Amino acid sequence: MLLEIKDVCKVYKGKVKANDNISLSMAKGEVFGLLGPNGAGKTTLVNQVIGITVPNSGTITIDGVDVIANPAFARQACSFQPQNQLPVYLLPAINAIELVGQIRGMRKADVRRRANELIDRLGIGQWRNVIGQNSTGGIRRLVCFCMAVVAPGDIVILDEPTNDIDPLRRRQLWQEVRSLAEAGSAVLLVTHNVHEAERVVDRLAIIDEGRVLGSGTPAELKASEGDSMRLELILEPGMEPPPLPDFLLETVASNRRMISKVEKENVVSALELASKLKDDGKVEEFSLGPITLEDIYIRMVGRLEEDEETPEGETK
Amino acid sequence: MILGWLRSYLLMLKWHALSYRSLLPFFMIIHIMMALGVVIGISLFMPPQFSGFAKYLITGTPTLILLTTGLVTVPQIVAAARLEQTFDYMWSLPVPRIVYVAGDVSVWFLIALPGVVISLVVGSIYHDFTLQVSPLIVPAFILMSIAASFVGYAFALAVPSPRIAQVGSQVLIFIIMFFSPILYPAERLPDWMVAVHKVLPMQYMADLSRGTLTDIDVNLGLAFAITGAWCVFALIISWLIITRRH
Repeated sequence: MLLEIKDVCKVYKGKVKANDNISLSMAKGEVFGLLGPNGAGKTTLVNQVIGITVPNSGTITIDGVDVIANPAFARQACSFQPQNQLPVYLLPAINAIELVGQIRGMRKADVRRRANELIDRLGIGQWRNVIGQNSTGGIRRLVCFCMAVVAPGDIVILDEPTNDIDPLRRRQLWQEVRSLAEAGSAVLLVTHNVHEAERVVDRLAIIDEGRVLGSGTPAELKASEGDSMRLELILEPGMEPPPLPDFLLETVASNRRMISKVEKENVVSALELASKLKDDGKVEEFSLGPITLEDIYIRMVGRLEEDEETPEGETK
Repeated sequence: MILGWLRSYLLMLKWHALSYRSLLPFFMIIHIMMALGVVIGISLFMPPQFSGFAKYLITGTPTLILLTTGLVTVPQIVAAARLEQTFDYMWSLPVPRIVYVAGDVSVWFLIALPGVVISLVVGSIYHDFTLQVSPLIVPAFILMSIAASFVGYAFALAVPSPRIAQVGSQVLIFIIMFFSPILYPAERLPDWMVAVHKVLPMQYMADLSRGTLTDIDVNLGLAFAITGAWCVFALIISWLIITRRH
């Protein structure tokens, strides 16, 4: 394995346990998702991999090298897109991208060619010479993405790379991520966007409160739910959640959205119930489909994510 | 390894220079205003019989520009970077952290340089004073600038709260402007302040300017030594803080 994280614990002052016995590994050419809500301990883990923070216990190796003892090795091996976009606030996009490429050891001519290719593919040519504070949040994030991938390390760490980015450029960004993996880099994708992660990652880990709640391929994680299905109801605006029968299991509700697990033998009943609720004007729309990664995530974390259309998640 | 550091240093120089490019006109205006304010404005306070102090005003102004840049502007920027967690990204790049700081300190010298030159030209013309420029002016001003900036860095990094560092650096303006023997000789201060300034770097930095631009009798060797010692001390403090991992 390229990256091996074993039994990592990190306790901050005030005794907040940010990472609690975390063990993960990543292989070359793999896109690995690190999923979890805000405050789950994702950034703490990343900061330990790139040598900014030191764990209280546990080991982290990249290609067999102990990066806790050799942070300089980690910085060379990892290229990193931070969640905030501050590095590019005062720098023109092209200069920021080229400088990071050169800092990472690329020759100027090569880095210029690669930077221009990335800028063109991501459709941000008109911001090429614009400083970050004069462009939009989405453009700044794309520039930061380019900085992380212009001279990719063995490990490319992307922290929430698609926030604020429009759907077309988002699609292009995911293609770039796949290309990086095909070229041999391991991509560590830190996100709380489960929908996107499901389509992009090869394997993932779901973490919350500093602990790994589950890991594997999306299919492996979903297999734990057997052949059950999920019913999603979107309530009419202002409508109180209706009482649901017992065959709708493990219901999670948040604002207008209600998601329940349905065993295979109850699928017809669930469909009839949803149709009736819609006819009665209680439900705006509904869908019945296979279990998604989001369902697994919700069951493990116990709540819907904050940036979904339901701002204040609650578990029923 | 030395070549690697040099390459990193040049890239960091470019990084900082490009980052501050949009702020450059702003700093130019501040420095020119400071030059005009000190060499012309302060002389208006003085009756004609004090015209002998013109040389203190002329040589003190570049010192003030370099000191306020290093001890006020640099801490402001560093404290803001701490608040915004910019360093977390910069420290993730494969560049020795002290090289990042060295690049920053170098660029602040270049930013302050036009103001330094303008203040000397304006001062000597306005006061009809001929400067006796020594070649040592070059190392003197470079040392003064990097020492001030390293002290500014160390201060902004060492103070636990970045916001306190920002307020503290503002207070420093008044200490530097009015209570440091930069625009006037040290003997005008009360004894206890003279004793304090024997340890602080401001007086020696002022001596570097006086001793390399006028016939004022100063111990230039001591001025280089004490300013250099402050530079090394601040560099070590900065290095210890930025290489520490949480």
